[in-house]
Amino acid sequence: MNSSPSDFPSQLITLLAAGMLVIQLLMAVQRMLLTSIRLFALQSLLFAAIATVIAYCHNAPEVYWVVGLTLAGKVCFLPWLLNRQVRRIGIVQEIAPLLNPSASMLLCGAFTVVGYLVARPFTSLERLGNNTLAVAIALLLTGFFLMLNRRKAISQVLALLTVENGAMLAAVALTTYGMPLVVEVSMFFDILVAVMVLGILVYRIRESFASMDLSELKLLKG
Amino acid sequence: MMTFVATVAQALLLLALAPLLTGCIRNWKAKLQNRRGPRVWQPYLDLLKFLRKDMVISEHASWIFSAMPYVLFTSTLLAGLMVPLVTVAAPLSLFGGALAFVGLLALGRFFLALGGLDTASAFGGMGSSREMTLAAIAEPALMLAVFTVAIQAGSTNLSRVLQAAQGPGWTLLNPAYALAFAALFIVLLAETGRIPIDNPATHLELTMIHEAMLLEYSGRYLALIEWSASIKQLVLMALLANIFFPAGIATEMTPGRVGFSLIVFLGKLLVLAGAVVLVETTNAKLRLFRVPDLLGVAFILAALALLSTFLFQ
Amino acid sequence: MNHDLTLLLIAPALAAIVCLLSRSRRAMELANVLAFALTVGLGLELLRQVLLHRVVSECGDFLRADALSAWMVLLVSVVSLGSSLYAVRYFRRDLASGAVTPGRIKEFYVLNPLFGGAMFLVVLANNLGVMWFALEATALSSVLLVALYNRKTSLEAAWKYIILGSLGLALALFGTVFTYAAAIRHSATLPNFNWSHLMSMASQLDPRMIRLAFIFVLVGYGAKAGLAPMHTWLPDAHSEAPSPTSAMLSGVSLKVALYALLRFHILTTACLGSSFSRNLLLVFGLGSMCLAAPFILVQTNLKRLLAYSSLEHIGLICAGIGLNSPLTIFGALLHMGYHALIKPVLFFSAGNIHQSRHTLQMRLIGPGLIRVLPLTVLSMGLAGAAVMGLPPFGLFFSEITVLTGGFATGQTLVSALLLAAILASFCGILCQLTRVLLGTPRVEHVSEPKMRGEFIRPVPPHSRGKNSSSEQAQVRQGKTTEYTEYTEESLGEGIESPGGRVHASGAHLADPFRVLRVFRGFPLPFSRISRISWSLTRFRSLRFLGFGFVSNFPFRVSDLVKRWWSRRHAPVLDGLPATGLMLAIFLVFSVWLPAPLLELMRQAAGIIGGGLR
Repeated sequence: MNSSPSDFPSQLITLLAAGMLVIQLLMAVQRMLLTSIRLFALQSLLFAAIATVIAYCHNAPEVYWVVGLTLAGKVCFLPWLLNRQVRRIGIVQEIAPLLNPSASMLLCGAFTVVGYLVARPFTSLERLGNNTLAVAIALLLTGFFLMLNRRKAISQVLALLTVENGAMLAAVALTTYGMPLVVEVSMFFDILVAVMVLGILVYRIRESFASMDLSELKLLKG
Repeated sequence: MMTFVATVAQALLLLALAPLLTGCIRNWKAKLQNRRGPRVWQPYLDLLKFLRKDMVISEHASWIFSAMPYVLFTSTLLAGLMVPLVTVAAPLSLFGGALAFVGLLALGRFFLALGGLDTASAFGGMGSSREMTLAAIAEPALMLAVFTVAIQAGSTNLSRVLQAAQGPGWTLLNPAYALAFAALFIVLLAETGRIPIDNPATHLELTMIHEAMLLEYSGRYLALIEWSASIKQLVLMALLANIFFPAGIATEMTPGRVGFSLIVFLGKLLVLAGAVVLVETTNAKLRLFRVPDLLGVAFILAALALLSTFLFQ
Repeated sequence: MNHDLTLLLIAPALAAIVCLLSRSRRAMELANVLAFALTVGLGLELLRQVLLHRVVSECGDFLRADALSAWMVLLVSVVSLGSSLYAVRYFRRDLASGAVTPGRIKEFYVLNPLFGGAMFLVVLANNLGVMWFALEATALSSVLLVALYNRKTSLEAAWKYIILGSLGLALALFGTVFTYAAAIRHSATLPNFNWSHLMSMASQLDPRMIRLAFIFVLVGYGAKAGLAPMHTWLPDAHSEAPSPTSAMLSGVSLKVALYALLRFHILTTACLGSSFSRNLLLVFGLGSMCLAAPFILVQTNLKRLLAYSSLEHIGLICAGIGLNSPLTIFGALLHMGYHALIKPVLFFSAGNIHQSRHTLQMRLIGPGLIRVLPLTVLSMGLAGAAVMGLPPFGLFFSEITVLTGGFATGQTLVSALLLAAILASFCGILCQLTRVLLGTPRVEHVSEPKMRGEFIRPVPPHSRGKNSSSEQAQVRQGKTTEYTEYTEESLGEGIESPGGRVHASGAHLADPFRVLRVFRGFPLPFSRISRISWSLTRFRSLRFLGFGFVSNFPFRVSDLVKRWWSRRHAPVLDGLPATGLMLAIFLVFSVWLPAPLLELMRQAAGIIGGGLR
């Protein structure tokens, strides 16, 4: 049950996790909203793959629930919802992020290193994969940065979702089976509702500001 | 004797295979775009045609102009000889291995840029400056990505790296490799002038990079340059295919193993070419000023890959 | 078998469903009020049971209440009841003035009980993951409430709130996961993630993991609780939300997030020893207090001022727990309670002011509000004095308890800093509130930007909203001089800008006062009569709230006034019953704390401080 980090499934998990990180970095430089949404879907798909590997190799059938929920919610439904929103609003591109892509990329690289450093003392606690926790923390930090860097509401929502992906990854990495089922299900429910609420807000902001650009949101100060 | 045969064999393989690969990519790309496209062996015919034609050389051209195609061709071919294609042992192993490999490619690029500048034509200079700008980012990324693998093997010699890859204790599914592979793939696109970075099929002054440097060349010189561009593409693809997917490569020189290895190698190349074609058809060319951003991504990925080899222990 | 805890969750949920299905506003109002009245009853019952059994658990330990939870349940239920009572009249007036649509009001009545119910789930959930879920649910249900008015500013506030809140909660999720990981290490089987279970195996938890987890949770739940560097959403959301929601947010939502943080604090203390998490709490608490004071001084918006005061108080509670002696923890819990009761009073009064003056800019509300809205100002003044920490009120005692505890345990420097911060914000609030509430009103008010070019003139309350176009024409023709020469007495009746809410009707022609008013001067007796009618409206709203006996109280004067007095001409004092109720509860508890409550708080303080002994 307790696997050493060098066997095949473990390596596969680490690889998939690194893939998630690569996608996150690509999102940091991607300006097209639709492509970003697709990248998010791909990242979630990788997470589902990780969960599948765990469920299969560790005989943990309840993890299939997580796989199913991820596939249904994060790979299909949310991207579809966001896509629809982007089309309805008609804004497809992030015009001017605060930092240019090279700088943001460098910063994200630095965040990844920070993630490794933070996770370093805890590698012995990881049950699966090698440094999957580091990837999770890197996802968290870069997600935060993405959120600060972006001005379009939908990009911020996407950044939030990637942070959530990081949290799921941490749960899987540290505990093998993820969180108890009731927690997992409620997490998914929360994410779905959150995206819907954010969608409503985006729509209203769009209506009253005539733009989705959040840099216009600076009426409140002090 | 054995090494001499191997050297000649690999050189011939490179020379023969390179135009075919270019032809395949062009053909597939056309197919994906619902065109019929040129035949697969069209590049061979092009080369033959160029070789037969007379050359027009600017009266302002210096010796550099005529030396450039030969230097480029030789350096690219030498670099190609240092990469293991079908057997683990590459025929040529200069000092420093990977370093020499990158250095040879850089030498070729340096002369290419000089050749572009030499006739003082406007386009040539433009192309050269663009090429060097991109190379300044792409080359470090290439080096870092190769070093990532080299560190795992404990040697910068590419043959040794592949030997280590056959041995036990080699983590195939290393995330550092995933990062390095992504970086190298972007570098591959940049070095071979593929679509998000450069469009090999147009002569549009706003965008072209590689073609701009060759505008003054014709005849035999052009044939050499085109050929070495194909060889460079093949070599880089072979590097990617063999380092990251070392399965199937021959460890000893028996004919059966080598034959099998050759087939596997061709298969890997075709898959990689397919990936390149997919990228080319699904993406639009980036504005020139955005290209450094993309190469910056490659650089960061490679740097992360290198860092994570230390951190993943 | 007792179903107390389950009922606490079901009652608000049912109310939300009823509101979702019903079309009548009255039914929605009733459902809200009844549901929260029921939860107050259940909270009292829970108090009894907790004092009896110490721990009440249900649904196979899924829900669990100890003294700390019971204390929070009481606070949440009372504040929710108060704000749903207040919401009734508040939204009726908003509807009448066209500030909200019926659809939005329905949105409020559906989401409000969900918000309350989610807070009950936070304090009752035993599973830390479920607690996280419930906190996220509070954020999600309240964000649309913040955006209820759909103004640009409120949308901005809502966006900041949800983004910062979700980020915080994502961090807290990481912390929660780490805590689970710390627990799973030493058990071969899947451990359950219940807080009580974790506490029982606290010494076996992995200390490094718990340390990391607490940092994540502190930043995460701290953001939701509005602690200092993560507080930026707080003043925006509090000032832009409708007043009943502001009261819920400030009164209990912050404290519920703090409660979640405290659960982790207790766990961390039990695992790591006392100094790690309490020091962090102390730093963040002190930071919040020190940051709040200067912002209070420079505020120009009334509700933002109140929001920063909430920041200060949450900081004090946090620091009180961080000081970590039994006395300071007790004081902090007491402070939690008093603050939860008094903050709604302030927000309700601010809501009344907002609705009658259509602005929250203190510059425009202007000096001398006491002449305009005497009762609202009375409640606000009392509550303001209480929030500053003046002696006869409860907050004074709780602050003194915290400070005494701090000095007594030799943490002199920290306690002195606390005292300084309290004094600084005392000065700030005192200075700001006196400027607004007291003094003489300016006649020539600076107009709101919306109504550029129009005059603002004093009008008695009974005619508010009835400015017809002919009268405005008079104003424009230069007859305004007459109005500026009112006596002090008549000025006291209300100042209204004409462009605001116009219900065009001919009623004013039949209005005897109106006819008289055109002449110079204003005879005193009439103003007295209008005063009486004014108080009458107060009783009307009381009658609605079930104080039937009061309806017999108004005299036959009502017949005289009834002709021109309809509910639509919403009087200024409508919000007062709920405000008064909360104020009364606060004042009663300020002078007299019943023994069961004291015992409950003593037990709760024992739970928080229990880790150290």
